[in-house]
Amino acid sequence: MRFVRKLAPLALSAVLLAACGGGDPYVPGSGSPSGAPTTQGSFSAVVSFGDSLSDVGAYTPATAIPGLATVGGKFTTNSASGTVWVENLATSMGLLITPGEVGFNGQSLKCPAAASPNPVVAASCTGYGQGGARVTDPNGIGRDPATGLGALTVPVVTQIANHLAQFGSFKPSDLILVYAGNNDVFVQFGAFAAQAAAIQAQAGSGAITADQANAALFQAQSEAQAAMKQAAIELGGYVKTQILAKGGKYVAVMTLSDIGDTPFGNSPQVAPAKTVLTDLSRIFNLWLRESLTGQPVQIVDTFALFKAVAANPAQYGFINNTLPACDATKIATITGGQITDGSSLFCNSTVGAIYNTMRDTPLVGDATTWFFADSVHPTTGGHKAISDTIEAQLRAFGWI
Amino acid sequence: MNHKIQVLAAAALAVGVATAAQAQDNTFKIGAIRYTTNSKTNGIQGVGVPPGADAETGDATTLLLTYERALTPNIGVELVIGIPPKITAKATGTVAFLGDDVLSAKNVAPTVLVNYHFGSPGDAWRPYVGAGINYTKFVSVKSKLAPDVKMSDSTGLAVQLGVDYAASKDWGVFASIAKVQTKSKLVAAGTTVLTTEIDFRPTTYSFGVSYRF
Repeated sequence: MRFVRKLAPLALSAVLLAACGGGDPYVPGSGSPSGAPTTQGSFSAVVSFGDSLSDVGAYTPATAIPGLATVGGKFTTNSASGTVWVENLATSMGLLITPGEVGFNGQSLKCPAAASPNPVVAASCTGYGQGGARVTDPNGIGRDPATGLGALTVPVVTQIANHLAQFGSFKPSDLILVYAGNNDVFVQFGAFAAQAAAIQAQAGSGAITADQANAALFQAQSEAQAAMKQAAIELGGYVKTQILAKGGKYVAVMTLSDIGDTPFGNSPQVAPAKTVLTDLSRIFNLWLRESLTGQPVQIVDTFALFKAVAANPAQYGFINNTLPACDATKIATITGGQITDGSSLFCNSTVGAIYNTMRDTPLVGDATTWFFADSVHPTTGGHKAISDTIEAQLRAFGWI
Repeated sequence: MNHKIQVLAAAALAVGVATAAQAQDNTFKIGAIRYTTNSKTNGIQGVGVPPGADAETGDATTLLLTYERALTPNIGVELVIGIPPKITAKATGTVAFLGDDVLSAKNVAPTVLVNYHFGSPGDAWRPYVGAGINYTKFVSVKSKLAPDVKMSDSTGLAVQLGVDYAASKDWGVFASIAKVQTKSKLVAAGTTVLTTEIDFRPTTYSFGVSYRF
């Protein structure tokens, strides 16, 4: 019977275990924010944090070409009417938005509008997005990490801190837009691509087997994804601790769109690894959503929204969404060979201007009916499609 | 002659056992159990998972313990438990390069069965069939691909087919085969989040000794 006494606890523990069964495991990223305002806001400012897509002119002075003109300043088809989506949205709400900081090559000026005698203009410097900026890492694209020269690329974490320094806190009358992470994708994709090239060279020479190469590529991809996860969780954290906790009420956070749907993503060098590129956005979006689950914000899912534009360009008024409308050769010429990558920061679409750098071969680029200005940035028309889409979302939230 | 005596002796023994069996309501069994899984999944879903990525679980062997209470001479209720075996999974399909040990878990799997024993108490050989409920909880779930892996519990039908051989009044040996419905939803969160549902479809083979009192 000792046998029985020994076994009884085992049997009992099995029954107890059986009794404490749970449901299905939680899937991270499957939740939603909750508790954001549902009523129309009384807005006095659009406060925007982000990167080149939201850049309202941080590098404008650097695009001044001596003896010619200031040819650019925004990452689009610049012209008198060449506005970006943040400006379009502000304008349609009857508000003004100007750069939170302007500069280049180690020199910068915060809130240039503050010099204005008009108090409304003076307080309009709430467009913090800067080309090249990342979520946390100050070394964005175009900034020399050793010297700090080149583009400012003030990261979003510092953009928010700068706003708090300038204005003290967020206000219920601020419409706060957070749209960042694209440059983290570019940096991580670049790191992956460099590793992938080395792995493929080893596989090609027979130094490693195909399975070893696949495992190494998987590892390289996982590392890039891990960095995107970290950036997303950091961004979600800034929204919580630096925006919501500092008075932000109307906060819209954008997911990343599919960068695979750009001329960059479709270029011969990148296309073979397009799914890797796409997945970096998706991983970022997953963890951004997870970190904002239960938070009183609204998420604007640009991944799905811009997918629709990419898939049905005609429906949105575009006749071309594959070629950049700006001409890289003309931009190189006008900048004396300094800008060779065709960056739309220096692209100008003013008809008849000597510094017009729109493409005229093999097709004539158009700032309205073509979607892309350069390999990743939208034209004026592209920005209008973005602002229309986001504005529709804000209406759906009941905010405007 | 010898043969006749043996038969008679066996018959006498059988009668003796049959009368004594009224008191022999409890049976413990201890043995080895081999899980052979024939698992399939509904595919692995998640950001960054290439199409055709899959995994399958391997086999495991562990110690089996059962207790059966006879309700009638032919019907008993049996509780089956075991030392939780470690089950591992290997990557297959388009991600086979990830290797053999992408997931490991221990399954705590108590099963309650109602058995029908053919023949009569005291027969040397008694085949039996049983049907019941298996509950499986997966513990110590680990993956080298994700630090946070969870698997849902499984409740499903179990059926078994076995035979007991009584070597003496108390002691005997047994062997059985069982099929168990075991399904679990898996969520693995690392840099990405993977989800799948594993249908283990196990067949178990058990054998060991029994003690009746």
